[in-house]
Amino acid sequence: MSGPNEDNNTQLSSHIFGDLLDSIIVDVASECHRIAKLGLDRNLEEEEEEMRLSAQARARVADPSNSSETNTKYVVDIFGQTHPSVATEIFECMNCGRSIAAGRFAPHLEKCMGKVIPISSYHISICLYLSIMIDSYYDREFCAIP
Amino acid sequence: MKHSVNRPPTPDAAEDQGKEPTLQEIINIKLIESGEKERLMELLRERLIDCGWKDEMKALCRAHVKKKGRNNVTVDDLVHLITPKGRASVPDSVKAELLQRIRTFLMSAAL
Repeated sequence: MSGPNEDNNTQLSSHIFGDLLDSIIVDVASECHRIAKLGLDRNLEEEEEEMRLSAQARARVADPSNSSETNTKYVVDIFGQTHPSVATEIFECMNCGRSIAAGRFAPHLEKCMGKVIPISSYHISICLYLSIMIDSYYDREFCAIP
Repeated sequence: MKHSVNRPPTPDAAEDQGKEPTLQEIINIKLIESGEKERLMELLRERLIDCGWKDEMKALCRAHVKKKGRNNVTVDDLVHLITPKGRASVPDSVKAELLQRIRTFLMSAAL
């Protein structure tokens, strides 16, 4: 026969378990949200599409006749700022040497690094720097409180 | 007479804002301070990955994102989406293992 203390313990244990589980649920949801927003859930067949869009983005930036009024892909945020639909700063991937638009960088890096090319500590620092940049981009773009 | 009409309801234990911390708060502090909370989280995380629970939740999220579009989904949406299924589909063995660990901790913390 379990006394009141045992019942308390059981109830407390369940409650604590529930808390742990809820935290993990939030973690999983956040992870999936991040993956979705950064476009990391694409598969390899779509890399070609990305290359095409990357080239398009570069062309858009290079084209002097581009203006924000005529370009319908520019969206105005709540602060009245415009952001290109593809972040147009160009990075050179330190892994494969390709020029990639920032907005395409995360999915590219995800696949590119997976091809196991020897990495020096210089590369590692750049990767870390870029992850931080990507994370702050994610925070700025998708987590900022309106 | 008016005093008693306007008197606020007696706060129950859960809403008690007084100096006495609740039992749950005390336990939570002990869990965190001893590092056991971290260990329990990691254990649960590992078990939930091993049994495929995390993959199931990720699949639910992916399907939802596909349906609604990447730009129309918030973290809140996903939390609400996977919480019921998530809570219900933890394997019994995993739950039992964690509960046992927690109970052991509670007993060792002399509560």
